[in-house]
Amino acid sequence: MTRSAALKEFLQSISFREVTLSIDLLVSTYIGYFYLKNVFSASSEQLASPVWLSELLLQVIIYSIVLMVISYIVLAFISDDELEQPLDVREKQISLVGYKYTTYILQTGICIAIFQYQAHAQGFGPSIEYNIPFLPLHIMVCAFLLAEITNYATQLYKGRTGAIYG
Amino acid sequence: MASGVITNSIRTLRFLNNEMTQKQLAQEIGVTRQTVMAIEANKYSPSLEVAFKIATVFKLPLEEIFQYQHSSD
Repeated sequence: MTRSAALKEFLQSISFREVTLSIDLLVSTYIGYFYLKNVFSASSEQLASPVWLSELLLQVIIYSIVLMVISYIVLAFISDDELEQPLDVREKQISLVGYKYTTYILQTGICIAIFQYQAHAQGFGPSIEYNIPFLPLHIMVCAFLLAEITNYATQLYKGRTGAIYG
Repeated sequence: MASGVITNSIRTLRFLNNEMTQKQLAQEIGVTRQTVMAIEANKYSPSLEVAFKIATVFKLPLEEIFQYQHSSD
């Protein structure tokens, strides 16, 4: 099979839901990159400033909403009423598997954040060793973004391979 | 412990029914084309409702479309 034929077959096999999930995944990945880039390039004063952190979180929220709204408007234009069609049983199951991993990551993130908060209160841990204020908050935001990315990636992978439980 | 796999002959039946496409079958039984692809590849076992809808489309009893291959480990 030639490369163009393989590409054509791939484009024909991709569903509208996969396109939607891919866009959600791209948006979430970009938001994660934006957040981490800002945190890692921030100065010590910025990291210690609640105002700077609030602004960053506000930017993350605004970017998320704007990008999602734009992408869904574009999808609504190119879709053939597929956006309004309900999920079938298999898609609902795939969605549940995605949410299962999301829950694991969020629970782990919250546990690490609580442990980090307690460690900071006791005077040890990475937030003191590396001088990173508000570390529990950063951990929870990262866990949230990672959970979103994992959710979309899992749904895409399971939807493409067909095997839900494997 | 006993385990098994559900296989089906949907691909053949589609071909025998005026070369029905996966999309046409998917529309008739109310699922996506990806779900039909997964069922045909034996990667997903359909719900009882979807199985009966497939049987209705092909006008055949369930056991002629789906086969349970039993194997004991």
